Amino acid sequence: MGYRVGIDVGGTFTDFALYDDVAGRLSIGKVLTTPQDPSIAVLQGLDELTQKIGIAAGDLTDAIHATTIATNTVITRSGPKTALLTTEGFRDVLIIARQKRWELYDNSIDKPVPVVPRQYIWEVPERMLHDGTIRRKLNETAVRSAARAMIKAGIKAVAICFLHSYANPAHERRAAEIVRKTSPELLVTISSEVSPIYREYERASTTTLNAYLMPAVSAYVGRIEAGLASRDFKRKLFIMQSNGGVAIPEIVARFPIRIIESGPAAGVLTAARYAESAGTSNIMSFDMGGTTAKLCLIENGRPALTGSFEVDMVRLKKNSGLPINIPAIDLVEIGAGGGSIARVDLGAIAVGPDSAGSDPGPICYGRGGTEPTVTDADLLLGYLNADYFLGGRMRLDAAAARRGIERQVAEPLKMDTIAAAWGMHEVVTAQMAQAARVVSVGKGKDPRHFAFIPFGGAGPVHGARLARMLGCPRIVFPHGAGVESAIGLLMAEPAFDLARTRITALGRDTLVEINEAFKDLEAQGRAQLSACGIGADGRIRRSADMRFAGQGYEINVSLPDGPYRAGDVDRLSRAFFDAYAATYGDRAFDRKDAVEIVHFRITASSPVPAFKLEGAAADGSDGAHALKGSRRVYFPETNGFTDCPVYDRYRLRAGDSFPGPAVVEERESTVVILPDSRARVDRDGNIVVDLAG
Amino acid sequence: MNRLDPVTFSVIWGGLISAAAEMGVTLARTAYSVAVREGSDFSTGVFDPQGNMITQGDYSPGHLGSMAFAVRRMLEDYPVAALAPGDAVICNDPGIGSGHLPDVYMMCPVYLEGRLLGFAVNIAHQIDIGGSGAGSQTITGIQDNFQEGLRFLPTRCFVRGEPVADIFRIIEANVRVPEVLGDIRAQYTANMTGARRMEELARTYGPSVLHQAMDRIIAESGAQMRAAIDALKPGTYSFADRMDDVGPDTEPVEARVKVTIGKGRVHVDWAGSGKQREAGMNSFLHYTAAYSIAAIKSVTLPAAPQNDGIIRTIEVTAPPGSFFNPNRPAPCGGRAVVSHRIYEVVMGALAKAVPDRAIAATAHFYNPNIGGVDPRTGRAFICWESIIGGVGARWTKDGVEATSSPWNGTNVPVEIQESRNPVLIERVELIEDSAGPGRYRGGCGLRKDLRLLADNCTFYNLGDRQIFPPYGLAGGRPGGLGLTLLNPGTPRQRRLHSKGTYRLGRNDLISWRTSGAGGVGNPFMRDPNAVLIDVRNGYVSIKAATTEYGVVIDGKTLALNLTRTRALRARAKAGGKKTKERVPA
Repeated sequence: MGYRVGIDVGGTFTDFALYDDVAGRLSIGKVLTTPQDPSIAVLQGLDELTQKIGIAAGDLTDAIHATTIATNTVITRSGPKTALLTTEGFRDVLIIARQKRWELYDNSIDKPVPVVPRQYIWEVPERMLHDGTIRRKLNETAVRSAARAMIKAGIKAVAICFLHSYANPAHERRAAEIVRKTSPELLVTISSEVSPIYREYERASTTTLNAYLMPAVSAYVGRIEAGLASRDFKRKLFIMQSNGGVAIPEIVARFPIRIIESGPAAGVLTAARYAESAGTSNIMSFDMGGTTAKLCLIENGRPALTGSFEVDMVRLKKNSGLPINIPAIDLVEIGAGGGSIARVDLGAIAVGPDSAGSDPGPICYGRGGTEPTVTDADLLLGYLNADYFLGGRMRLDAAAARRGIERQVAEPLKMDTIAAAWGMHEVVTAQMAQAARVVSVGKGKDPRHFAFIPFGGAGPVHGARLARMLGCPRIVFPHGAGVESAIGLLMAEPAFDLARTRITALGRDTLVEINEAFKDLEAQGRAQLSACGIGADGRIRRSADMRFAGQGYEINVSLPDGPYRAGDVDRLSRAFFDAYAATYGDRAFDRKDAVEIVHFRITASSPVPAFKLEGAAADGSDGAHALKGSRRVYFPETNGFTDCPVYDRYRLRAGDSFPGPAVVEERESTVVILPDSRARVDRDGNIVVDLAG
Repeated sequence: MNRLDPVTFSVIWGGLISAAAEMGVTLARTAYSVAVREGSDFSTGVFDPQGNMITQGDYSPGHLGSMAFAVRRMLEDYPVAALAPGDAVICNDPGIGSGHLPDVYMMCPVYLEGRLLGFAVNIAHQIDIGGSGAGSQTITGIQDNFQEGLRFLPTRCFVRGEPVADIFRIIEANVRVPEVLGDIRAQYTANMTGARRMEELARTYGPSVLHQAMDRIIAESGAQMRAAIDALKPGTYSFADRMDDVGPDTEPVEARVKVTIGKGRVHVDWAGSGKQREAGMNSFLHYTAAYSIAAIKSVTLPAAPQNDGIIRTIEVTAPPGSFFNPNRPAPCGGRAVVSHRIYEVVMGALAKAVPDRAIAATAHFYNPNIGGVDPRTGRAFICWESIIGGVGARWTKDGVEATSSPWNGTNVPVEIQESRNPVLIERVELIEDSAGPGRYRGGCGLRKDLRLLADNCTFYNLGDRQIFPPYGLAGGRPGGLGLTLLNPGTPRQRRLHSKGTYRLGRNDLISWRTSGAGGVGNPFMRDPNAVLIDVRNGYVSIKAATTEYGVVIDGKTLALNLTRTRALRARAKAGGKKTKERVPA
């Protein structure tokens, strides 16, 4: 029992949520991110918050951290010199990739650039076959001389990726041993540990990215740990992974590739908690910060995981980024945030993906920003309060924002300044609507069956408009939306998704192999849980990627716990048939066809702790007691500016209900309630809005 | 709602594009053959009730460009009145479809409450369709189409959701591997996915709004395309290149084109090209049109979604009986090898009208098949391969490595190919000094070495550019020639023809080396640092850096010697060597 702190680093702000589980009290904080070294803002903000509530960092029982360090390192290619050691004859696997064009007719496109250039790729004689037999022994001398050459070339980290190592990791393991012995200063990672999944390009891409991230991520995590230690923090630091589970620094340092989607995952997990307020467990989470917006669908309370995704994509086009075969929450991220810069392009307003970030930030921050941003437009339209940004800690310069939009958007388009500001607001919202369709309509899901949960600093400003565009029937504006991801971290627990390719026919003869494959993975999962301090109450869930023998792709099927006996084979095939029929229709296959397991998967996790803010009695009224005043706010529905009531979120009580248009101010964000809708405050302090159909 | 507002229009357009894309995902994920599931050798589209193409999945231009013509032609044989919900019509006639028998079209009508919404259509390359050679793409020894496999004129293979068992029995009896049956089922599953998405849109917005949106997609795209054509310099531009030959000991094929840019229209005329040949590689007009259209789209509206509105602005003609518009029953199994040349010859003509959007010739690709019996299972196997070299240089930057420009297939991962077929892949790498030098260089050629692990195999090679190299532009040099070798570096080494058929045995090693792509601009004007990076990365040798680029690099330190480079380049200029050129921006 004590104090848990969640720390979420975004592109613009670093957010803090500190929970005192004795008093049941939540405190929140927000500081500007320090892009050169994000650990500075982390430690500075932590000091501010602990001082504010009068505790020392040493009083904290848990610190849970979400970070963008991994993604940023890849996108800006700021990692150190990294090498790839691979099977002789295959040094070009990364450059050749899958050869697919991501724009069919556009000859100006380029392929994603691997993080390892060709000159840092070394080949060694060795060869495994697909069934794990050795065709050619590993040439250990060649490994040694490669390891020496790497040092000479200034390499810091090396990925070892041999053909068919998913079937037999012996050569990769031996090569790693030799490299570590020959050149102990090199950080080494092997593909059979990072992602033992077949298809050599995707595996090599995942492994080289892991190597590339090792130096930066371990240094960063080390700085945070040291900073915490110097503040007498003696407990464990946890880092959020892309799959929504947290891990300890030792695991993250070995597998930094697992934290690529660290920040976004934290946000999605948080949104999943609002099922009760939303009255449905089907949720669309919308996290809009200063730099990007992330959208994700949560069905039946659980965000979908994807077994592979891409980093550093161009225009969200499939195959334009570097592939990663690591389970991650399935979400889309686009360059649309409060700091996104607007410009005039071919006679139209274009917004993003360039962002003013936190430094210099939007014009209205008065920190040297000169290009008009979404936040500048939101200020002009009356959605934001110049005197109450970050609870009044930062004054916004509305006149400067107006001048910027006038000169750089309105004048070139010969339009009114307010019309230009509205155009920026609408364009960025429409872009997010398109991204929302990628995760909904694009996957055959109807957004009208999902409740909409906006958060992040800019989320509640744009949320209602976006939900209306998409046709989502209900919006829940969570309490503390501006630091929602940090709050989400408070209830995160360790979870590891592990997988291995081992193509195995499903039948009585192969039960031994099937049981063994799961047993291996489960042992690894238990070991990683126990490293995080979780013992017997840890939980293992099994699934398998299965297909009809001869197909090339699989579907993921949840499986019961084992070990399996002969009588279970029918159960396992039935589970596959049901999943297949649900995906492709029940005419798409023949139940007589042979079935095989391709990837064995487990999720090792700990039980989620009961974390709940105390609800209040619903004794509210029309919210008049929370009225701060009114201001002129722009809505197309009211043909322009209208007098709009402004509420203080901290004075609203459960049960309060009032009509839109309205603005509700809180320190970290502002909730905009559209005309023709009605807001009510639920027991947990969330604002629920039902949109007229 | 029964009026089409701008938001609804964009939602429906996006919805129909994602319907086509999702059909593709379903097809790859439920297919059995390596060609479809790994090689993406298929395409998908959504059509209106009149058979106009509304949206497509971004797969193979050869399929996509012919789809618009094929569906209308299929509807002549199988009119709407003869169709019912759940039906599927297949067709692989080369003249009606996409030019060879392995490409099987499947068209499914889509209804909402009895009202026809349109058609979900896809085409997949079946890994075998019978005929004289495994993979049904044999070139040598083929005199007519009847030798090439099973042919379906438009034929119903599903009726009201049920497979027509007799059709499937005929197919089963005539193909070498059973994957074909699974892939045809996957084609149906894919169309049903598209049908569901179309039904959802019609249910949400009403069929008439859906149809208004379809009409407007064509109208808007057509207007946009006409404007893009009008922005080009009008005139007639011609270009010529040739195919190496049509098999061992045969003559080259002339490929000549005249592209006329008129008011809102482009006419591509292949008159003057070679005659139809007695070899399995003639290019039926739909196929010729498909890649001609792809080249024109690349320089006009490269990023806009393709549909009938765009295609209608382009007319493609070729004299009947010519190589690019043969008469039935011309053989055509290996016509894929012509795809790059069609695109490149049209691109070469367009380079005279819009040089800054044109690219130099792309490295060629090999698309061979190997057939035999897998000793591990005793069952017939067909090993389908694609070996794809790089893209030609662009006007302001280098070409792309190991990616086709006209084609959009994917390679088969080594780890998949070896687990499916009795082969061992020993090497896949870019070839040093194969890229066409230029101020911007072309992509490199690609080498792949494959060893057979089965006896009594037949190897059907399918490639080109072993005689005539890919051209460069504006002073850029052509790429290096391609080559197919058997057992290189051994006493049994021999050169194989790009289109030959060979009986091979266990431990034989086939080594394909594609040509390199062409360069753009004078190579002596290339940034010396770019040459240095190429040398360090092993794309260009130190020797070629000097001879081809005039750049001197120290062999020991791998450092640039700028003084000697300047002197060498100045001498070359004074000698009048390679100075005459149009300078790319």
